[in-house]
Amino acid sequence: MSPLLRALSAESLKLRHTLALRMCLIAPAVVVALFVAQMSLLSHSSRPPTDSAKAWLGLSENILTLWSLVMLPLFVTLQSALLASIEHSDRHWKHLLALPVARRVHYLAKLLVLIGMVVTASALLALFICIGGALLMLVQPAIGLAGAPPLAYLAEKSACMLAASLLMVALQNWIAIRWNSFTVAVSFGMTATVIGMMVVQSKALGPWYPWSMPTMAISFDGAFASIAVAVALIGGVVATAIGLIDFERHEFS
Amino acid sequence: MTLAIRTRNLTRRFSGRFGICDLDLNVPAGTIYGFLGPNGAGKTTTIRLLLDLLRPERGEIALFGQPLNRDMRQTLGLVGALVESPSLYQHLSGRENLEVTRRLIDAPRTRIDQVLDRVGLADAAGRRVRDYSLGMRQRLAIALAMLGAPRLLILDEPSNGLDPAGILDMRRLLCSLVCDDGITVFISSHLLAEIEQIASFVGVVQAGQLRFEGRLDDLRARAKPKLGLRCDSPARAVDLLRAAGEEIVTADPNTLSIALSRRRPEEINRMLVSHGVGVSHLAVENVSLESLFFDLTDATAVEDAA
Repeated sequence: MSPLLRALSAESLKLRHTLALRMCLIAPAVVVALFVAQMSLLSHSSRPPTDSAKAWLGLSENILTLWSLVMLPLFVTLQSALLASIEHSDRHWKHLLALPVARRVHYLAKLLVLIGMVVTASALLALFICIGGALLMLVQPAIGLAGAPPLAYLAEKSACMLAASLLMVALQNWIAIRWNSFTVAVSFGMTATVIGMMVVQSKALGPWYPWSMPTMAISFDGAFASIAVAVALIGGVVATAIGLIDFERHEFS
Repeated sequence: MTLAIRTRNLTRRFSGRFGICDLDLNVPAGTIYGFLGPNGAGKTTTIRLLLDLLRPERGEIALFGQPLNRDMRQTLGLVGALVESPSLYQHLSGRENLEVTRRLIDAPRTRIDQVLDRVGLADAAGRRVRDYSLGMRQRLAIALAMLGAPRLLILDEPSNGLDPAGILDMRRLLCSLVCDDGITVFISSHLLAEIEQIASFVGVVQAGQLRFEGRLDDLRARAKPKLGLRCDSPARAVDLLRAAGEEIVTADPNTLSIALSRRRPEEINRMLVSHGVGVSHLAVENVSLESLFFDLTDATAVEDAA
């Protein structure tokens, strides 16, 4: 087994009994539950039922936007801080980095686990959208939801959103590992998320700002989406390379 | 003699702290080597350099003849370490903690039970570490250090916070590792009494510089009692004593200080008087190993030397 696979296997064991693992389920569930609750409680009696395909797309787009703009950046912030704090607490780096394992392996394993968590949460979000839609068919028929959920749309948009989140993931991973403080990582991520909510309204800046890229990637304007995905992929690789160089040199106390 | 650790001109300084400067360590394989010095003398800096946690400004490190640097980290496979406090995942059990490191270094699964038995934690291995006592955590940290079947164990103040029974257990464990497994143990401490009980070699560091390195017996030999002597003809007394094979430690115009090893004080007195030297004062001054240690690590002495 390669050192990276061994490190990933060790990471999976460390995640046992952790909040980080449970958050992969909780975060998407909360977003869908909130949206379904809101739709259930609103009065729709005066509105005529719309086309069922449009209703599904509308529901999916609304939830994906709420997720990509607010919950995904906060999720990445929290997860990266939790993953890094496993090593910062009890000063684990001094044990890990004294093992005969290349330093970069530890860094890459953390990054891959974080990406894996974002993938898992996104897949669960798509699943919960389908379940939430089915629930709304029963409790709020006036919305006009009917038939099968738009699986192809959900798969495509989820993939774009994931790709567009890679720069944000790489930056947040580096910050959480580099600074031995949960507060620094969380404060940085929260501030960047709030700025992202404003920047996303600008078509000129939105595709270039890491925390608004996931939302831009699922927008209906294909040009902006392509820019956001391309910048996030290239930027993600560059940020990872810089993070690795810094990690190789950094001396943990 | 095979050296488990050999450093040459090892230097790493920090602003506002000593760090270490031109450290030449020679740690013989198969021994317990006590690395002594007061807090802040550079012990932990040295240990961090020996584990590639810090990069040296200059100098070389070789473990069992194999160089260690950022590009040659596989040398660390020879080493197990406990740096300062134990680093343990509190939310995992003792066994899971070992399993995390086992997966990273690809050690055999059977090794976990072996090290648990060795440190006496086999029965508590399934409990979460957050419920462990300080002594149990320390033992688990030693088990973690032993997991990769190292030839060299580097322990930084491993008795910190342990009760007397825990310290005794630790001492027995370390002695058995050296006697039964042939492992070399490099152990740092600021307590001479602790090191004196287990180590056969010592290095004494002060203000980042090695003040003494050698067998503990050699250090003890330095601590032999002295005889303070005043007489009417010091120069003649020095000649007589030297001719008789005595070691004069200091000789100032008023007082001679003689290392007491060959003759008893009354014999020295008799010899001097029989040769016409009038002795006015004769006093035995006992030098403990501890006071020698304090002399070696006296900051003012270092400044004077500099």
